[in-house]
Amino acid sequence: MSLSILAVDDSQTIRNMLNMTLTDAGFSTRLAEDGLKGLEVLENNSFDAIITDINMPNLDGFGFIDAVRAQERFRSIPILVLTTEVAPELKARARDAGATGWVVKPFDPPKLVRALQLVAG
Amino acid sequence: MADNTDAMAEIRASFFTECEELLESLQDGLDAVWNETSDEETINVIFRAVHSVKGGAGAFGLTQLVDFAHRYETALDEVRAGKLVPEGEVLKLFFRAADILSDLLQAAKEDGELDPATFEEVLSGLAALAGGEEEEEEALDFQPLILDIGDETPQLAELPGELPPGLPPLSGPAEGEGDAQGDSGGHIYFAAEKELFLNGNEPLYLFRALADLTELTSRCNMDDLPDLSDLDPAVCHLSWDLTTGADIDAAAVAEVFEFVEGLCTFRHRLPEPELPELPALPELPVLPGAPDTAVGAGADGEPGVAPAPDAGAPPQASDAPAPKLSTDQDAKAPAAPKAGAQKPAPAKPNPTIRVDLERVDRLVNLVGELVINQAMLSQSVTEVDMPPNAAITKGLDEFMQLTRSLQDSVMRIRAQPVKALFQRMGRIVREVATEVNKNVLLKTEGETTEVDKTVIERLADPLTHMIRNAVDHGLESTEARLAAGKPERGTVTLTAGHRSGRVVIEISDDGAGINRPKVRQIAIDKKLIEETAELSDSDIDMLLFMPGFSTASEVSNLSGRGVGMDVVKTAIQALGGRVSITSTPGQGTCFSISLPLTLAVLDGMVVEAAGQALVLPLNVIEETMTVEAAMLGEMGRETQVLRIREGFAPLLDLGTEMGFRTPLESYLDHVALLIAHEDGSRSALVVDRIVDQRQVVIKGLQNTFGQIPGVAAATILGDGQIALILDPLDITMNASGRTRQPSLSLAG
Amino acid sequence: MTVALTLPERLDTSAAPELADTLAAELGQDIEIDAAPVTHLGALCLQVLLSAAKTWAARGQSLTISNINDTMAGQLTLFGVTPDHLGGPRE
Repeated sequence: MSLSILAVDDSQTIRNMLNMTLTDAGFSTRLAEDGLKGLEVLENNSFDAIITDINMPNLDGFGFIDAVRAQERFRSIPILVLTTEVAPELKARARDAGATGWVVKPFDPPKLVRALQLVAG
Repeated sequence: MADNTDAMAEIRASFFTECEELLESLQDGLDAVWNETSDEETINVIFRAVHSVKGGAGAFGLTQLVDFAHRYETALDEVRAGKLVPEGEVLKLFFRAADILSDLLQAAKEDGELDPATFEEVLSGLAALAGGEEEEEEALDFQPLILDIGDETPQLAELPGELPPGLPPLSGPAEGEGDAQGDSGGHIYFAAEKELFLNGNEPLYLFRALADLTELTSRCNMDDLPDLSDLDPAVCHLSWDLTTGADIDAAAVAEVFEFVEGLCTFRHRLPEPELPELPALPELPVLPGAPDTAVGAGADGEPGVAPAPDAGAPPQASDAPAPKLSTDQDAKAPAAPKAGAQKPAPAKPNPTIRVDLERVDRLVNLVGELVINQAMLSQSVTEVDMPPNAAITKGLDEFMQLTRSLQDSVMRIRAQPVKALFQRMGRIVREVATEVNKNVLLKTEGETTEVDKTVIERLADPLTHMIRNAVDHGLESTEARLAAGKPERGTVTLTAGHRSGRVVIEISDDGAGINRPKVRQIAIDKKLIEETAELSDSDIDMLLFMPGFSTASEVSNLSGRGVGMDVVKTAIQALGGRVSITSTPGQGTCFSISLPLTLAVLDGMVVEAAGQALVLPLNVIEETMTVEAAMLGEMGRETQVLRIREGFAPLLDLGTEMGFRTPLESYLDHVALLIAHEDGSRSALVVDRIVDQRQVVIKGLQNTFGQIPGVAAATILGDGQIALILDPLDITMNASGRTRQPSLSLAG
Repeated sequence: MTVALTLPERLDTSAAPELADTLAAELGQDIEIDAAPVTHLGALCLQVLLSAAKTWAARGQSLTISNINDTMAGQLTLFGVTPDHLGGPRE
């Protein structure tokens, strides 16, 4: 099942890892380096799911999710939050912002792929 | 996965490159706090830098790095939360932590680890700042866990087949559902709130995740389902009773539903043989103390009734995000003017590619050839005597300009901003300041100035020494500063900039200035100068660069490392640079280093000796003069000296020293080049004539010929002639000095 | 007269209101629903289909759903719903 995924993370390393993992899984992947860039990419593309980091410059993950959800056509797109921070209040904030799920960094590639299949299949 | 090994290695390499940038912004941020030029965003930048290092390090299993970054980050988070003020000792600890982070990265890069003892103190300091309690618990957070699923990842298509056929009937009483699967299974009641869907979530996903964990049987409750005409399609009127296998792990189930906590009613009753008859019914309130895992507001009872999730307000679809976006930008707006000019540059790093340095060097070389080729072509065209406005002349002019700008651009590839170098100096300043107990502020300017990569690398040591000197000797003690009515905190300023085709780096302090009488006395005591020598202020200042000079009367453990300023000068000269000093008593001292933009091009003087064209680096030639009879003096059997104003310099014949010829009968009317030595002495190098003064492209010889005494490199001149680029210091130091035919012995 | 309706590929959350409107517009008519294209069936659209089946049945009219593919069948199973609940295939 080929899914198209938008992955947003300010770390080049994590973007590379995501790109490799998702491409290997046969997903078509677009990368963006912060929330604003992510929104730009969303302008002209549609995706089956989004993975986003929380801690990012310019527009952080919370703001990004907010802005995505504000658009009618993205009301139900699954958004996974990718973050090293798993403090309960952070999860709550991400959920309140409209995230669908979360994945802990460093991620285990098969699990990440499976998580995406679960939410976007 | 095997074919991913290379990709992983590459990602790993890029991780370390990225970390260099992250450490740079971390350092910038800390410097800004230290210099009191920070704003609200600064701490976020600092935090993010450490956070990203941690994230990437985790991906490569660099546990030592992850653990340290985590502690650091936790402490920084206290600052972000406003619970901790980054000043004084706290800030110093952050600086040290940044240094250790850098060391840890370096170690990790070389597949090693640091001895934990080296940073234990800092680590416990950070832990103390963070309250220190939650460490154990936090450590757990580094497992990759998600909508957690077993290592088996069955394909979705297989799922239906795994599920038992023959589902329970639709509308019968719910009692006894569990019996169908036997009592060993667990029961889950699930009902979704409207908000669950607004988050892009979907019961289907959750059920899928459960089906990954266990054998799952679902029963859908449709009793509350209204007629289509009454249906609000955004509200889920369905609820589910799920029966799981006996192997189900409560924590795994809780994890599946964790992210919809507050957005649904969810109750999980574990497999519990003792209570087989307890039906998993929506109508049943949860028994307090029963082995139920209850998550969500529904656990309080009243399942099916919308819980009031504490933070469960649905995202305000249309209006909320817009202000959020703009506040984000507003928050940044006031920051910009405060941070001043340095802000825009690092804000948007341009996209970059990584290129093997060897390839760049090859390109540099090729362009060098091209420049030479173009010069040769121009010269031959000049020789055929074309009319001045001939098309070919004009075309060649354009060709020359293009070649020049191509050369500039290629040289620029090797250029790097001095910023990283300056940041290292920040660390030196802090270390030395602590050791000598001074309060020192390092200001840096012109960090974006670009210098050849090799120059930067080779500048690190001399610059370190000069910075140490500035803090240790340049600045007064705190007491002396206060007594002199100066601010307690001394300032060392490091600036870089371009000045007439060269890079100038200045290290200045606002200390007491050079104590010239003392310097002079030391030089006399050490027999470096005559007691009667008449020296100008700048002559005295230059004594600092003499070998063997050291302000030894109070050498601290810092400067007495066997490295004197003479070594600094040599190192800078080796880079084609010059160093000079200006000092004002009571106000400070400034060391100025002037460097060529690149090591690939040299400002040279083309001379002729014994019919050979030779190139000498311009920066070592102090003066040129025509040899007159009155200036010559004989000395010894074979040598002569040249009398220059108040002093003498040994007369050296370049042609003889290079072995091109035996000494001439007379050097009258030849040209003497005065070469200044590091120790202040001079030699007069005699050549037949000066041909030109120009930039030449350096072509290395060492790969082919090894190290040749007196020869630094070679170049190709415009007429195609190959010319050696000489190292005059090496020549004069090892000179035979023969400038006269010994009058007697031709036999010898 | 019988109305024929083909379902879209993705019956996700955002598709639910439209699906409800489309079906509600056919109230009073017999309806044949072709589910062949469906690749994703979310709970809210499932609910619309279930509600329609219930509504049509209550009015004594015919609502049938056919061509349920394997993907959709798997999703129905996860939801604990059988094709019968949806009006079932005509066969």
